[in-house]
Amino acid sequence: MKIAKYLSIFKISFAQEFAYRLNFIMWRVRNVMQIFLVFFLWDTVFSDPGRVLFGYDRAKILTYVFGIMIVKSLVLSARAADVAGDIYRGDIMNHLLKPMSYFKFWFTRDISSKALNLLFAAGEFAILFIILRPPFFLQTDPLALLGFFLFIALAIFIYFNLLFIISSIPFWAPELGWGGQFLVTVIIVEFLSGALFPVDILPQMVQKILLFTPFPYLIFFPIQVYLGKISGTVLLGGLSISLFWAMTLWLVMNFIWNKGLRAYQASGR
Amino acid sequence: MKKILRYLNLWWIMSRNSFSIFLSLKLSFSIFLTGKILRFIFFISFLFFILQGTKTLAGYTSNQAIFFFLTFNLVDVMAQFLFREVYRFRPLIVSGSFDLVLVKPVNALFRVLMGGADVLDLITIPPIIFAVYYVGGLLSPTTSQTILFLLLIINSLFIATAFHIAVLALGIITLEVDHTIMIYRDITNLGRFPIDIYRQPLQGILTYLIPVGIMITLPAKALMGLVSPSGVLLSFVIGTVAVLVAIRLWNFALTKYTSASS
Repeated sequence: MKIAKYLSIFKISFAQEFAYRLNFIMWRVRNVMQIFLVFFLWDTVFSDPGRVLFGYDRAKILTYVFGIMIVKSLVLSARAADVAGDIYRGDIMNHLLKPMSYFKFWFTRDISSKALNLLFAAGEFAILFIILRPPFFLQTDPLALLGFFLFIALAIFIYFNLLFIISSIPFWAPELGWGGQFLVTVIIVEFLSGALFPVDILPQMVQKILLFTPFPYLIFFPIQVYLGKISGTVLLGGLSISLFWAMTLWLVMNFIWNKGLRAYQASGR
Repeated sequence: MKKILRYLNLWWIMSRNSFSIFLSLKLSFSIFLTGKILRFIFFISFLFFILQGTKTLAGYTSNQAIFFFLTFNLVDVMAQFLFREVYRFRPLIVSGSFDLVLVKPVNALFRVLMGGADVLDLITIPPIIFAVYYVGGLLSPTTSQTILFLLLIINSLFIATAFHIAVLALGIITLEVDHTIMIYRDITNLGRFPIDIYRQPLQGILTYLIPVGIMITLPAKALMGLVSPSGVLLSFVIGTVAVLVAIRLWNFALTKYTSASS
């Protein structure tokens, strides 16, 4: 019964994306434009097929770029970014009165968004692959693939909690809803997650510090596991930090959310 | 002349109002400013670390590659400073409030294009000009190369104006502005690096069809003495034609405005 409820939300959310088809297509066009920038930059840097730089050869770096497309659609495609708007417009009241979990509602919408984006990203991947014909590193080790999917699942959970924490800001400061998201999701996550460049081109010291934050575990780490560049104790270390952030952010999110609901004044309603 | 002064005065009043609104939200202002500065620092650091490993990019030296990036930032930030109001156009169209702009004794295009200069970008322009001046100086340009660079930057702003007018016109016709303007931003972002890095036909498209190359790569190349007189002449022709076509598109779009929802 409960599953049927969220399945309906999934279906409605999926259909809603098609209500604004032009918006969705343009969003996907934007993703392709961003991939062009990164792809051609690395294509130029690795124009010599024998070149090895920052621990990457041409096949691995271009696989990283194509991996960004798929991992971004799985991890960073999320509807929960709209929660901030729900709060400052007062629309959250409608949801709180309904017999369902607000978190599960948005998580289901996130999954729906990810499914749709993954579908389109896979199509774009295929088209760009045919046009650009990059060398591609195909991972065949089942353990590495299992690790990749495990890190993706953790990344989805980390990002969901991170978005909810940022989206809670309007409970106290409605005017900062978009500002907080801009700073964290558009700037910090975009650069520090590895969505633009692999984190391991940075100096060792910066890398070490960054790997203690949750951001590289969103994009960079899962792709590194796929590429087979991370295994053994380093992988276990990454898994521990990733699990730590998943748990911590979940606890922080619950704490902030409870405080926020107490501070909420239902303005706008 | 009197008309130009009147519009300059209007622009000053509208910009002052826009600045006042933004400055009244101090925390929001600080967050956005921090975000913009961080984005610049992250990107230039990324470029710096790549160039430390590769030494050159598409045959350009480190200083030249960084100068391309700074030129992109200069054009991008100036366009955002002048045309921020375009980002606020969709609600006017969707709600029908654009009627209130049309009935006023001010050119409607001027109002929706330049009616809300962005104080955040104004703050970031001086440091970028300084960086362009400093890194440009390291490339030892001649006086004529410097003048050509400045003229081509003005031409870039004309092309940016044409793009923004086209976005407004498409906004009236399709009711879609937010993603169109962001696609424009994504396309110009391709100019962060010299367009020589892109393969054909993308390179050709970025040079002639969507002239990002003329907007960003060409001025930087002019300072390095890497452009031909015919290339410069062609860029001015493209700049002029782009503005004229955009204004025609705007006039056409106005005939399609239905004033729905008002």
